[in-house]
Amino acid sequence: MNIIETRNLTHRYWRTEAVKNLTLSVPEGSVMALLGSNGAGKTTTLKMLVNLLRPTSGEARVLGVDSRHLGERELAQLGYVSENQHQPLWMTVRQFLDYCRPFYPTWDAALERTLLAQLALPPERKLKQLSRGMLMKATLLSSLAYRPRLLILDEPFSGLDPVARDDFTAGLLEAVKQGETTVLVSTHDIEEVERLADQIGLLEEGSLRFAESTESLLGRFRRIEIEVEGTVPLVDRPASWLAWQSLAGRASFVDSEYERAATESACRQRFPSATVRAQAMTLREIFIVLARAGQKSTGAAA
Amino acid sequence: MLPFSITLKPGLPIAEQVIFAVKKAVVAGQMKAGQPFPSVRLVSQELKINPNTAHKIVAALVAEGVLLTTPAVGSVVAARAPGGSKDRAALLGSELEWLVVEAKKLGLELDDVQGALAEHWRKLGKK
Repeated sequence: MNIIETRNLTHRYWRTEAVKNLTLSVPEGSVMALLGSNGAGKTTTLKMLVNLLRPTSGEARVLGVDSRHLGERELAQLGYVSENQHQPLWMTVRQFLDYCRPFYPTWDAALERTLLAQLALPPERKLKQLSRGMLMKATLLSSLAYRPRLLILDEPFSGLDPVARDDFTAGLLEAVKQGETTVLVSTHDIEEVERLADQIGLLEEGSLRFAESTESLLGRFRRIEIEVEGTVPLVDRPASWLAWQSLAGRASFVDSEYERAATESACRQRFPSATVRAQAMTLREIFIVLARAGQKSTGAAA
Repeated sequence: MLPFSITLKPGLPIAEQVIFAVKKAVVAGQMKAGQPFPSVRLVSQELKINPNTAHKIVAALVAEGVLLTTPAVGSVVAARAPGGSKDRAALLGSELEWLVVEAKKLGLELDDVQGALAEHWRKLGKK
């Protein structure tokens, strides 16, 4: 079952289309990272999913309900953590948790205590006296203690130091039930989500470039290096070959549709006597190559 | 703490890396037959990985006979590595190919590689 399903979801701010025809499914129990450069539409998308913004057109179904009609029942199973959230800053951490608890029938007091310790939060300190990282952790705690079925996190790691990030991830894993909790997290911090996400979605200028499993994404990208005798000849290259560079007898590129046999034969066809080497890439490297390729194609179109 | 050592490298599938590390720990005697294997939850929390991935890792290790699941106890390390040595050697196919390619690039001879290999072999002790 898909716990989030959007169809042609669009949001326009005055004349700017922040999100265009977004069609996305997030299967129950998965952890999906939504990546994208600044202004790609990540925050707008997430806000529509939790009904903080209305779609201009299209629709989103969240927990089986149209996002515009999310009610008490759904909100009690939904956690939302964003860096720009308004919180009652005059409350202490303890008062804040006391305030949140009655809203959620599934609130787990034992988990609350575990998380309070794990996230190293001072219960008697006021929210306004917390650092940015601590405030994010307090918000996370208030959204984890009831073990929501769906957790939506908007840039949760931004501005957090490495220890706070580690605490944050540990807290998250404490509350997540394998196969039952679904997490959708938007982020720039690719390293933080590389281990967590089993699905990756990439937004580019409001459009979804792809959404697929981390495994298949890591599988289809390889940095290819070619060595030939003499100089690398000029040949036409498939569109799936990105970031082409060559220098004397060496060339390198990124194959975005790598398949060992197919890639090797495509190389041999063009460079008959070449040595071909394929290297796995990190998510970060893949992301940068795609972002650059995207910039180039829009630059060429303009 | 986990009973096997691992440093996750980015870019490679996590499940494969962990499965490899566990097998290595079993072969090296770091993990002994009958020893309990940590729960999916603990693997996920210790390595900070997706619980679904941790689940997949344990399931794959059980399927390959490296671990046994016993009711009420959870999974334990199986008595001995499964399959014939040929099956087990097949596990190393891609690593061996990679090693050969790298060695040739560095201009090493088979003897050099075998020497280095033997040294690493001794370091890991018997077997």
